[in-house]
Amino acid sequence: MAQPEGLLYSKEHEWVKIEGDNATVGITNYAQDSLGDIVYVELPKAGKQIAQFAAVGVVESVKAVSDLFTPVGGEVTEINTGLENDPALVNREPFEGGWLFKVKLAGDAQTSGLMSAADYENFTKES
Amino acid sequence: MKQTALYDEHVKLRARLIPFGGFDMPVQYQSILQEHEAVRKAAGLFDLSHMGQFILEGDGVAEWADGMTVNAVPTMKPWQARYNIFTNERGGAHDDVIFYRLPDRWLLVVNAGNADKMWKILNDNVGGSGVKMTSLHGRNALIAIQGPRSVAMLQPHCDADLNGLKYYFCTEGKVYGKKAVIARTGYTGEDGFELFVDGADAPEIWSKLLADNAGGGLIPAGLGARDVLRLEAGMPLYGHELTEEITPLQAGLGWVIKMNKPEFLGKAALEDQQSLDDYPRIVGIVMDGRALAREGYHVFLGEKRVGEIRSGSVGPSVGNKSIGTALVDKEAATPGTDVVVHIRGTAYGAKVVELPFYKRSYKIGAA
Repeated sequence: MAQPEGLLYSKEHEWVKIEGDNATVGITNYAQDSLGDIVYVELPKAGKQIAQFAAVGVVESVKAVSDLFTPVGGEVTEINTGLENDPALVNREPFEGGWLFKVKLAGDAQTSGLMSAADYENFTKES
Repeated sequence: MKQTALYDEHVKLRARLIPFGGFDMPVQYQSILQEHEAVRKAAGLFDLSHMGQFILEGDGVAEWADGMTVNAVPTMKPWQARYNIFTNERGGAHDDVIFYRLPDRWLLVVNAGNADKMWKILNDNVGGSGVKMTSLHGRNALIAIQGPRSVAMLQPHCDADLNGLKYYFCTEGKVYGKKAVIARTGYTGEDGFELFVDGADAPEIWSKLLADNAGGGLIPAGLGARDVLRLEAGMPLYGHELTEEITPLQAGLGWVIKMNKPEFLGKAALEDQQSLDDYPRIVGIVMDGRALAREGYHVFLGEKRVGEIRSGSVGPSVGNKSIGTALVDKEAATPGTDVVVHIRGTAYGAKVVELPFYKRSYKIGAA
């Protein structure tokens, strides 16, 4: 699975799709593949203020629990409630149905420290 | 890191390899949950060549081993297999093992992580017994086929009568024309066989079994699936439910201990523990939510800390619930007790349940 264009990527293997003031966040295909079968996702509550690059939740696979970092800061507006009963959706559709949460961005566009699809592709090859 | 005889096969199958018990071992091939499902519904093929295989020979093996273990060794019939536990003087477990009694020798299978320790313990105690020991660790291979379709998948390629082989018995025969000890044992809660073969023969047996049974649903399964399977089946894993400190009594393995044996190392300590009956014990835990309980998480009864999680996983055969084992004080050990597990600083509700979580719905062996 290639990295979709038009998204930005973090070093912690999250992606973010920015549309105006709103952003949708998920983990990348590389991340879901490294984790293996995802069995539980713990997300920040809607209404919570979160800072860029802060740990805001966890993603658990059968073998390991990993912190979830947010690539952008702002107010959480929505979480993907479908993952409660079907966390494996993150494995199956990491860039689509398996999105994690949405954020109303705080302040200016927060693109510093994030990578393009091509840069992230290179980053995963080096790591 | 050492490699098993099947290492090249794992690389070809693009397994994810991790160091385990001194070997590079496959933790998963495609998906732990898919591999788990294959074993419950069809069958899975496991490389267990990292486990220690020791050959014991001589007239005195049974009596000698009986003095170091909690279960009875001398009453084993030829071709019988029996689960057993080597104990220390405090009743704690050196290792949990299986003895296989062959007509002319014994095969003792020990955990990979304990193989060096056990080899030393055996050697330290062998003096005067007349027992001759040979380690096949790392030289012989062990391939397990586990799942309800194991007989159907293995029988066409094996000259032994598999339907006639009883649970926890073994025989010698040939698989794809290669010599094997074929045992109806396993660690998944399903029917299945463990094939003890020469390392040189292992790759051919492994790859042919997979190729000939791909249509029937046989897939390679790694240690990740094995851990989920054994936890659902309520089987202890050394280092988690059994340790040098956690005795077989505490692990709920009282049925293994033969207190009527005249003597064995740790007997007095286990008798004391049994009569006092105030020891912390292993219980099953089912979480209310889906967050996984992992080793070391603290368990509370009300405000009081009563123990800790020893194993945890999702239970695909238990309605995908978050399940685990915990070592808890007696007051919290009654099935039905509501407890609290602290996960990353948050209290989550859970219930104490009886083990196992999963029981197969069919009988093993000939009718």
